[in-house]
Amino acid sequence: MIDPFTVPFMGRALAEIALLALICGPISVFVFVRRLSFVSDALTHTVFPGVVIGFAAAGIEGIFVGALVAGVITALVLTVLTNRARLSDDAATAVLLTAMFSAGVVLVSRRSSYTSDLTSFLFGRLLTVTTRQLAETAVLAVVILAGLLVVARALVFRSFDPEGAAAAGFRVGWLDLWLNVLLALVVVAAVRAVGTILVVALLIVPAAAARMVSDRLAVMAGAGAVLVLAAGYAGLLLSWTASLRYGVSLTSASAVVLLLVLFYLLLIPVRWLRSGRSRRELVG
Amino acid sequence: MKRMFWIAGLAAATTVIAGCGSSAGDATGAADASSDAATGPKLAVVATTPEVADFVRNIGGAEVDVTQIIKPNVDPHDYEPTPADLQAIASAKLVVKSGVGLEEWLDRTIESAGFDGTVVDSSTGVTLREGGHEHAEEGEAHADEAHAEEEAHAGEEEHDPHIWHDPRNAKIMVANIEKGLAAAEPAKASAFAANLTTYTAQLDKLDSDNAAAWSKIPAADRKLVTNHDAFGYYIQRYDLEFVGSVIPSLDTSAELSAKQLNDLVAKIKSTGTKAIFAESSLPPKTAEAIAKQAGVKVVAGEDALFGDSLGAPGSPEGTYLGAERHNTQILVEALAS
Amino acid sequence: MDRPGLELRYSGVSIGYQGRPVLTGVDLELRAGQRLALVGPNGAGKSTLIKSMLGLAEVLGGTARVPARTDTGYVPQSGALDADFPVSVRQVVMMGRYRRLGWWRPVRSADRAAVAEALDRVGLADRARHRFGLLSGGQRQRVLLARAIVAQPALLLLDEPFNGVDAVSQEAIVTVLRELSAAGAALVLSTHDLGVARDLADLVCLVNGRQQAVGTPGETLTAESLRRTYGSGAIDLADGRMVLVEP
Repeated sequence: MIDPFTVPFMGRALAEIALLALICGPISVFVFVRRLSFVSDALTHTVFPGVVIGFAAAGIEGIFVGALVAGVITALVLTVLTNRARLSDDAATAVLLTAMFSAGVVLVSRRSSYTSDLTSFLFGRLLTVTTRQLAETAVLAVVILAGLLVVARALVFRSFDPEGAAAAGFRVGWLDLWLNVLLALVVVAAVRAVGTILVVALLIVPAAAARMVSDRLAVMAGAGAVLVLAAGYAGLLLSWTASLRYGVSLTSASAVVLLLVLFYLLLIPVRWLRSGRSRRELVG
Repeated sequence: MKRMFWIAGLAAATTVIAGCGSSAGDATGAADASSDAATGPKLAVVATTPEVADFVRNIGGAEVDVTQIIKPNVDPHDYEPTPADLQAIASAKLVVKSGVGLEEWLDRTIESAGFDGTVVDSSTGVTLREGGHEHAEEGEAHADEAHAEEEAHAGEEEHDPHIWHDPRNAKIMVANIEKGLAAAEPAKASAFAANLTTYTAQLDKLDSDNAAAWSKIPAADRKLVTNHDAFGYYIQRYDLEFVGSVIPSLDTSAELSAKQLNDLVAKIKSTGTKAIFAESSLPPKTAEAIAKQAGVKVVAGEDALFGDSLGAPGSPEGTYLGAERHNTQILVEALAS
Repeated sequence: MDRPGLELRYSGVSIGYQGRPVLTGVDLELRAGQRLALVGPNGAGKSTLIKSMLGLAEVLGGTARVPARTDTGYVPQSGALDADFPVSVRQVVMMGRYRRLGWWRPVRSADRAAVAEALDRVGLADRARHRFGLLSGGQRQRVLLARAIVAQPALLLLDEPFNGVDAVSQEAIVTVLRELSAAGAALVLSTHDLGVARDLADLVCLVNGRQQAVGTPGETLTAESLRRTYGSGAIDLADGRMVLVEP
């Protein structure tokens, strides 16, 4: 059970997942309470043109920067659009998502040779994570967690009662922007490992699954992180075993996400059991 | 509780995957059924494409253990390394690639696997034609990966990587492979040299047979409309004319715009081509649409051409020689009628 | 502002959003220990007036003097909040201390004591650890009140605090409000309930797009003023009582 992870590329893959678990546990809690599932999905689409442009400008390394720029810009635009309430949240998000993704598709169609690098962008390359990439993810993890820590209290208050938070003097607009930017950073951090198509699972499922077993935000964050790590471990192990013993080719990132979703499904009955057992939930 | 979920999850997932099945996963390394006397441990070689793997098996014979990482009918552009592939690379002494930018992902894969052997670029010394991938960014992209061969890429702007369709190039490729094998395993050098001689003779025969077949077709009828720009070298070798492919670029995921479609139909009609050929690893539906509009024969499906890949392992078209003969046969038959 | 003095003064004030006025002609003064009831139909501008006291609506004309934000407490309607939110009763009350804590200070025993005391005052000490969403509407309203008072505000603003609230909770809230004003806090609450206005408030302000009347309950809750404020929504009963009908 441990042996495969002594192989360097497997060890690095697991380390990357562990870092992502640390990030995505807490972040997904905020995605959950702020109902940002759609926004998260939008972000994974809007970074696409950034990736194409970044790749055109500077190759593989450019993808990271391109995604970063596109992500932050999206966060900004979305916050402004929804704050001014010119459009409803969903409409604004949908417009931005489709516009930018289409732009990305147009850009790709004009240059012919992008497939291999871009499919790696869409689906991730968990097994070819480099040490440098690990370092970059670690730095991002520190930045994101620190950023979350600074606004945690205010965000919880705002998420629970935006009116009350505004009345208490919290700047709701800035808080929303801050979270959106952090969200963009998470997408950028996770994108190279699991790809844009799958990263949305890491943003949404951990908290949703943890909610089945806990009513406390802090516990949800921790449980979410543990679930991602467990899915990472099991997914990599599954991919390894399938490949080496059975000759079945199973994308590692997909296996991880599949198992994460599976954990979620398996935890749903736990929620039913808990609410049946006691009417009054002691939360803390 | 958690453990139970883990086990349940693993069980469920494995069931699902087993149900889904896999691509021709069994081909990994199973191809070398060389049961004849191999003296001592075999040389572990990883080959990328089916064509190159076939070459290595022929030159290496019983002395090599070949792991082929790109399966037949899989687009080499879309490759993602599996744990088995990475392990194979890690424990291999030699990695043989086709070259000319066909395996852009290889360097990263090799680095992750911790490979410390030699990479053989089969394309060394082959005269390249224009009209390939855009590699302008490659120089910068790999700047921080200090591989000597990457510097060669900087000069390779827009070259067609499908060099093997010209048997003369194939001869160069197998010569490079033989050199690499001999360097990795000097003790077996004579065996490799002997295999090279045998195989080169077969390549020469292929070349002359092809030329003979084409000589029967009048020059005016040697028009090739096919899915892929993969046959550039073949066309050049046997003096064929390329009318324009259904998918104009070498990338399999780009699509034709309406204007491009109309242009192509006009071109086809004006040149009087008799047939359109669909390539084996692509769906023939796009080709059919054009055939209807332009009123020509569509050669697709089992009669399709092998541009990027070889046929199923074990079948006659599963080898380089088999696939190339197949291509020539199909083309000549369709254009002769 | 000094405690025994004026907490609130609005002179000829019009309030609105983005330059467009929602409520005009506001003239009122509120002293420490006084309770003001805002009465008017939906959309009259009651919420906007309260928001302006928090700095969340623009003062477009006239002069408005309000206490500092940190001295002002706000109790919104509990109905607008998500019942599934994973937060406990005492965590909600602790939110009232967040401003003071900032992001870096850990929660200390002084904070916990203040939360416990506030919950005790509203009669919900035994529900401290329960999930907020599991309480009844009235109980939730009391929790929000506790959240506001844990910061010991000089001015307390309540937006329709008795809407959908059961009798027990209403009584608990009223008790706390009386205690607060006895201790010197000024209160502003908006309500539809004329009975509450009459029994609880020292001052009543009738609004409907414009301030219609301000004064003691006796002065303002007259048939004529009510008709002016509510229009066809005010119906005279034969025995001198009035019924308000919301369209």
